[in-house]
Amino acid sequence: MLTLELALAGLGVGAIAALAAVGMITSYRATGVFNLSFGALAMIVAYLVWQQVRVWGWPLWAAVLLDVGVVAPALGLVLERFVFRGLHREGAGPARMLVASLGVFVLLVGIATLTWGTQARLDPPSIVPTGSVGLPGDTSVPTGTLVELGVVIAVAVLVAGVTRYTRFGVRLRAVVDRRALAELAGVPADRVAAAGWAFGSMLAGLTGVLLAPHLRLDPYGLTLLVLETIGVAVVARLASLPVAILAALAIGVGQSELSRLELDSWGLIQALQANLFVVVMLVALLVLPRMVEVGGPDGTRAATRLGTGRGESAPAGWWVPFVAVAAAPLALGAEHLRIAQQVPALAIVFVSLVMLTGYAGQISLGQAGFAGLGALFAGQLMGRQVPGLLALFLAALLVVPVGLLTGWPAIRRRGLTLALTTFAVAAVVSRFVFAQPRFGTDAVLDHPWPFEGERAFYALELACLGLVLLVIRRLHVSRLGRMLVAVRDHEGGAAAAGVDVASAKVFVFAVGAGVAALGGALLGMGGRAFDAAAFDPVLGLVWFAAVVVFGVDSAAGAVLAAGLVVALDAATTAGMSTIVVGALAVLLSRMPGGVPATVLRLVAGRPAAPVEPIPVRLTPLGRTLRARVRP
Amino acid sequence: MSGPGSRAAPGEDALRAAGIVRRFGGLRAVDGVDLVVPAGLVTAVIGPNGAGKSTLFDCLAGGRVDAGRVHLGGRDVTRLPAHRRARLGLARTFQVVSVFPSLTVVDNLRVAAENRSGASAPARLLGLPDPARGRTRVAVEAALRRLALTEHAHTPAGELPAGILRMVELARALTASPSVLLLDEPASGLDDAQADRLRHELRALAADGLAVLLVEHDMDLVFGVADTVHVMAAGRIVASGTPAEIRADARAREVYL
Repeated sequence: MLTLELALAGLGVGAIAALAAVGMITSYRATGVFNLSFGALAMIVAYLVWQQVRVWGWPLWAAVLLDVGVVAPALGLVLERFVFRGLHREGAGPARMLVASLGVFVLLVGIATLTWGTQARLDPPSIVPTGSVGLPGDTSVPTGTLVELGVVIAVAVLVAGVTRYTRFGVRLRAVVDRRALAELAGVPADRVAAAGWAFGSMLAGLTGVLLAPHLRLDPYGLTLLVLETIGVAVVARLASLPVAILAALAIGVGQSELSRLELDSWGLIQALQANLFVVVMLVALLVLPRMVEVGGPDGTRAATRLGTGRGESAPAGWWVPFVAVAAAPLALGAEHLRIAQQVPALAIVFVSLVMLTGYAGQISLGQAGFAGLGALFAGQLMGRQVPGLLALFLAALLVVPVGLLTGWPAIRRRGLTLALTTFAVAAVVSRFVFAQPRFGTDAVLDHPWPFEGERAFYALELACLGLVLLVIRRLHVSRLGRMLVAVRDHEGGAAAAGVDVASAKVFVFAVGAGVAALGGALLGMGGRAFDAAAFDPVLGLVWFAAVVVFGVDSAAGAVLAAGLVVALDAATTAGMSTIVVGALAVLLSRMPGGVPATVLRLVAGRPAAPVEPIPVRLTPLGRTLRARVRP
Repeated sequence: MSGPGSRAAPGEDALRAAGIVRRFGGLRAVDGVDLVVPAGLVTAVIGPNGAGKSTLFDCLAGGRVDAGRVHLGGRDVTRLPAHRRARLGLARTFQVVSVFPSLTVVDNLRVAAENRSGASAPARLLGLPDPARGRTRVAVEAALRRLALTEHAHTPAGELPAGILRMVELARALTASPSVLLLDEPASGLDDAQADRLRHELRALAADGLAVLLVEHDMDLVFGVADTVHVMAAGRIVASGTPAEIRADARAREVYL
């Protein structure tokens, strides 16, 4: 094929990626929340259109008009009203906003999985015309590409015009920058934010409808693809629409042009061609200077504190019922025992997040990547005749350097940028390692000697979990633990007290990666095979949400979360746990400290303690003014 | 209180800054400041908001400088990050209190004591037992007593009122047995009794041979305890002298008093 034709073919995908990026940037600028659920919204709307057209036989135009024009904005309004408005009011930091949007993401993915199943639909209807338009010089361009290009440019011009030249645009920026001040100036902040949400969700829906025909429609695939276009938004530093559009088109064209190159034996070029957006996301996050993050009254202060901040004060003998419950599956039959085997393994992965996020305040959405690498390394070692038990711990050790590399960016990054970077690492690892047949095929995973029996293996898992919990408990009262909490609570103060903040962060990422790898290797050994889908990067988001929901600074909560996730999916249907975790994460704004803390509080009849009270004392004049603007 | 840090003899320059420049874009927030903080004395920097006091503070404590050098006890620390300077005996407090809210008061202090003592970096990271455990305990207890925090020792810092937190932050700084103490508006949020205690402590610390530098808006405190006062405006030091001299200085009165 000619270079020009390849380029034109790439423009179509580029245009849709540009639309997604414009949508994400616009809703970020308009709402102050980086909406991770953007991809999930796109996926849901695409599914709705598919359902209405392919199953119910509606005319395409009616379905698209209803879903993109009404349903998607309505979803946005619901999210604003019931999830994010309360958080804004409380002055919640970026970390809690992130968890809330993660909750929406997880909830939507769970709903789609439950409603439509995980099998891909191959016939999403296309709203762009087929056929092509001839160009001078014997080439032609698909009409659809032109339409897609037209849509993205029209949207960008509209957004730019509204924000720059209308009163509404000025109000919008005021609300995002300083909501409270905007309200004092008489701007109806809630209505302005709601409009931002509605518009952002509409763009998400439009993206989904345009993108779906280009690929198969399934709950993870489309969502992930839209998530990958975050790279484009990052290149534009979450601010510039023209840069986003140009970058997206360039990547689309580049992806297309790469297909001209000879396929190399490693499959690297091939992988690069299929995953250029992911690579750009990682590179952009690592290379570009700090993004222009907006809003948030406490953007700098303790941005990553998610837990109660109190840590655990478990009653004496706390471990007795715990051990009893953990040992119970030993009495189960082989079939149920195999399911129960997932619990300790997953719990170990979750505990790694407690360490990272709960204790050290670092966000990692990439634990699925480390866990998968652990399973893969263990399998590779076992395939090379290394004894299983040795392979298990060697694999965990081998992943530690990967954690070091991921921890490196964390030195200077926090909040949103760090979360996205860890996700990008997991996505790259998934695409370039897990998905490559050459790595997965010769991996041999099995219960290690002398724990071949189902019961014996479960006991081994429990021993590993016990070891990890012991370390965590020890950490809680050690100098290292104090140091990590100090870094979480106040980086500047920690440095002033002589704590090497950078090393502490890198260290905790490395250890967290090793622990997650241990859990991943056990998961793989339990399943007796390496399954790339078990370590999908999207799962990293679900896991993070699950741990936060069950109290991010509680190791016991993490074990509970693992048990619940496995039990829910086993007892009902796959995807149920995702829905529950998503719903709880969305509700997290009402539950400081996570589910267990809230349940304990309700049982004890104590009122919820505010997590971060906002120190405001109004003068009589201030009270009068507030009564006027906020009746 | 004696610690591992080598303390300068009274009157000697414990901290010396020369030609400090810090730019933000085109703005020179600190524009060629020379400053010495002698051991055994209290030095104060005053000036209007935006004069560059806090930026200067950050330059001394470990922030980036665009030009100039910082010497701590005769050693050039210009390129050392904040935690290295802290371990060399430079302690500081922040304008917005920087305690660790989820740690108890005693643990807040322990962090400083443990990271000051001589354990190697790997041992520190691996959480090996502290070889200087006894010394840590002594330093923590001494600081608690000194600032009357013993009754709050096992309360999480997040549950304490702002005035007490100022004291906790100061205690944390003292726990590291510093030779130089930088205090950024230590009196803000204190009630009169606490401010009195602070005044008294600052004098006592200087008498112990500590080099104290404070940035403060409370003129009663500054003129009550400082031996030397520098007036900063627009990134430069425009007047220096004893409190009496500064009160009489026309230039200082014009920019600030």
